[in-house]
Amino acid sequence: MYWNKKFLRYLNFNVPFAVILLIIIGFVSISSAVEINQVDSGALRFLQKQAVSVVLGLLVVFILQAFDYKIFKEYAAVIYVSMLLMLTATIFLGQGVAGGAHWISIGAFNLQTSELSKIMLILVLAAVIDNNSDDMGYLKGMFLPSIIAFIPFVLVILQNDLGTALVLFFIYLVMLFAGGGNFKYMAAVFGGGFLLLVLIITAHVVLDTPLPFLKEYQLNRLIVFINPNIDPHGSGYNIIQSIIALGSGRTFGKGLFAGTQNQLNFLPEKHTDFIFSVIGEEFGFLGSAVVILLFLYLLWQFLNIAENARDRYGYLVVIGVMAMFLFHVLENIGMTMGIMPITGIPLPFISYGGTFMLTSLTAVAIVININLRKNKLMF
Amino acid sequence: MDRHKILRVVILMIFIILLSRAAYLQMARGDYYYELSEGNRISVRPINAPRGRIYDRRGEIIVSNRLTYNLYLMQNEIPPDRSAEEILNQLAELSSLAESRLVSNYNSAEPKSAIDPILLARHLSKEDMVIIAENKDILSGLLVKESSMRDYIYPAELVHTTGYIGEINEEELVSYNEAGYNYRGGDFVGKSGLEREYEFYLNGERGAEQIEVNSRGEKIKTIGIKKPEPGSDLILNIDFSLQSAVEKLLAENYQNLREKAEEDEDLSMPTGISAVVMDIDTGGILSSVSLPDYSLNLFAKGISSSDYQELVNDPLRPMLDRNIMTAVPPGSIFKLVTGTAAMEELGVRASTSFYDSNGTFSIPNWSRPFRNWNPVGEGKLDFVKAIARSNNVVFYELGYELYKEYNGDKLAEYARKYGLGSKTGIDLPSEKKGLVPDDQWKRKQLNTGWYPGDSVNLSIGQGSLLTTPVQIVSLISTIAADGLGYKPQIVNKIRNADGQIEKEFDPEINIDLRDQIDSSVFVAIKEGMHDVINKSYGTASRHFNDFPLTAAGKTGTAQTGGANHAWFGGFVPYDNPQIAVVVFIENGESSAFSVPIAREIMEYYFGFKNHHNNRKKIYYYQEEKANG
Repeated sequence: MYWNKKFLRYLNFNVPFAVILLIIIGFVSISSAVEINQVDSGALRFLQKQAVSVVLGLLVVFILQAFDYKIFKEYAAVIYVSMLLMLTATIFLGQGVAGGAHWISIGAFNLQTSELSKIMLILVLAAVIDNNSDDMGYLKGMFLPSIIAFIPFVLVILQNDLGTALVLFFIYLVMLFAGGGNFKYMAAVFGGGFLLLVLIITAHVVLDTPLPFLKEYQLNRLIVFINPNIDPHGSGYNIIQSIIALGSGRTFGKGLFAGTQNQLNFLPEKHTDFIFSVIGEEFGFLGSAVVILLFLYLLWQFLNIAENARDRYGYLVVIGVMAMFLFHVLENIGMTMGIMPITGIPLPFISYGGTFMLTSLTAVAIVININLRKNKLMF
Repeated sequence: MDRHKILRVVILMIFIILLSRAAYLQMARGDYYYELSEGNRISVRPINAPRGRIYDRRGEIIVSNRLTYNLYLMQNEIPPDRSAEEILNQLAELSSLAESRLVSNYNSAEPKSAIDPILLARHLSKEDMVIIAENKDILSGLLVKESSMRDYIYPAELVHTTGYIGEINEEELVSYNEAGYNYRGGDFVGKSGLEREYEFYLNGERGAEQIEVNSRGEKIKTIGIKKPEPGSDLILNIDFSLQSAVEKLLAENYQNLREKAEEDEDLSMPTGISAVVMDIDTGGILSSVSLPDYSLNLFAKGISSSDYQELVNDPLRPMLDRNIMTAVPPGSIFKLVTGTAAMEELGVRASTSFYDSNGTFSIPNWSRPFRNWNPVGEGKLDFVKAIARSNNVVFYELGYELYKEYNGDKLAEYARKYGLGSKTGIDLPSEKKGLVPDDQWKRKQLNTGWYPGDSVNLSIGQGSLLTTPVQIVSLISTIAADGLGYKPQIVNKIRNADGQIEKEFDPEINIDLRDQIDSSVFVAIKEGMHDVINKSYGTASRHFNDFPLTAAGKTGTAQTGGANHAWFGGFVPYDNPQIAVVVFIENGESSAFSVPIAREIMEYYFGFKNHHNNRKKIYYYQEEKANG
């Protein structure tokens, strides 16, 4: 444990500022999405649960500052093994909804283990890439990080949690790139892989060939955004309703609690996955732009912090966290706008959901930790 | 360019894309989506969800649904140059639907928004449907939509337990919607019985089709469909073949007794009859019958107010489920409770002997003696024989001793231990809790204290004590199981439309006296109940000649101001109790009439008598009337 009062001088105040603002926006929009304005809506329960997660998350933010982030590197192996155990346990013991086992119940809390795995993967990958930094331009250097990322990726797929699996993949991709992975190989493997995927799916849709890995409903959710008429009863309906909600907010929005799509319950999962549609409907383009720009602002600060990190490990961790948030924002907001597939991943700091709020604040805590210890001369 | 800069550029590009897409949807296309969302060009057509069905324990369907058609007026599908009044007027001219009715339905509807449909008529005839389809151009804005209505396979059986349905009232509409459910005016909801108790499971959730319409009110395209969720099915503990047999048995007896009373002036005229059969090991209700009843078909399409008035004003009260809503004194069945208290508190044993010299009992310094039903003294009896003989004198004495030792509340305490004076918690609405009188109650209600005579009266189940048949079946079952009583339960499980079990009701312990009351007490009480039936001097023995099993029970004839109520409560088999049976005849004169019915129910249950004679049953409101 090591703490120095001078650390505070280095704090990039933009980060807590943007995060707190986003959380406040989140509380306001969740209130509207769960119809707190209506009698007996039971809305307070949602807000209370969310507030508990925020308080717990803030505690993590403070407590974590007492440790130097180098312990994460030292204990990377322990973190990795516990992550694998945790994910495996969830497959066998987990409970979940809608064809997926995502939770482990601990007392009153349902812990979504796949959420925590995001941070754990970042911490481990950063250590592995840092240790192999000399070889990252070659296949042999890229091999170990790829294996390290692949195993949890498969375990999360086995939980039927496609969204989180994609987040893990994106984190891996960005960290590999930032860590100096050979770009030609990456382009060949991932570009080729993407083309192959498109080919398999096209073949399935056109020629009805069998589908590896994915279940039919998952595929439908993935491709329905291209043409909502594929599944007008299910996911397509959600996309259409979400777009109508967003669009109908026009420039200035219909006003808080005045969103008809929201209040008439046409919006699906509106307090979790489709919270951005509520914001767009009730606060208009103005509201959407504020949220989008706040995220850009936050991620920009992350990139600044990464650049000034004490060591390469710190740099890679911040880049990983940045990648996690970037993918969540792009995927979630893109989904509500009909330009990304529906994968059901939440909008950081805003969507209702305890585990992800905790994960997000823990990620921020790690970034701040790296930020506070940026001066190499302090040793 | 280094990789960090590339990352910055990529991120900037991603956010520019998100921002432009938001700008496109909300500013460039904002007005279009705004109109869509405001409902100017959107109509939401209802897709009705069928109500859950009801099955018996063997999977026999008891209540199902059949298809019917409703007529709606879709406000947003009315072309701008026409008015709703005009369309209703033309509809009335062309079809058989009365204009006054259509207009009043239209006016009384309170749509939440312009996209809500207005229900104009239910159960359209084929002819009207054809007329509406053929005149689509004139009758624009009208929508015929399929819906479901209750189909009662046995409209006159299990009537009270099933319960009836009816149009939702203002109060229900407000409270259900505040509870988070989505009801509209005109919806049919459960009003009594299981239909009401399990309303939120049975109801399901209405779906909707959101469509875009043009200025002529024609559908351009479907924007989205919200699938309806059919209601969940109830699977009951009721054994319907037993139920049918008991229905028939009770109906026959009820009619015979009434005919006999008609001829014989000395007999009182019974005004109702009920029976309940419970599984002792689970509390599952296997059969529950209460007569007189009515035909559920009267309610399927919404009951007419004249029919409803007739039912409500009927002096025989056919709407009353006597098993749970009629609370009267239990008479001598209560001696089982007095006996328990005496053994626990006064040290009475099975062999303790008593003496009945002249059929009366007198409280010292009290002028009026309390009489036994038998005017002649029965001499020396032990405790077990006192139960078998239902000897009042012995129990008067025990009641008086309890009063002297412990004050007036001791007997009430034991009654409450057995669950009397509070609801059993059976899964039906409107259960009565009855009354166990004590000193406090008497002071509050009658403004006088508790006298020894009150205890003496209470000891044989008379006075202000009130119990329902379902409380008595629970009492009998608790004694049969040596102090363990389960909550009476009608529904066994709830199954959703996908065939998955949504909820399963495990047996729930209501009463557990095993730690409080010594097992020898139950042994002695049960021996007394055994002798009631199996000893020649037992009060029910002559009705159980040649009974193929060994049963146990207790008779009860409860005196009221007017006619007596007839009771019998028993269980069978004696050695390994499986079912508890209670028969109750309102103003039934004597337990001599209730005992043979209980015997026959037991025989039906164990298959010594054929269940399936025929299903036809006399009921008091003919089906033709419902359809006519």
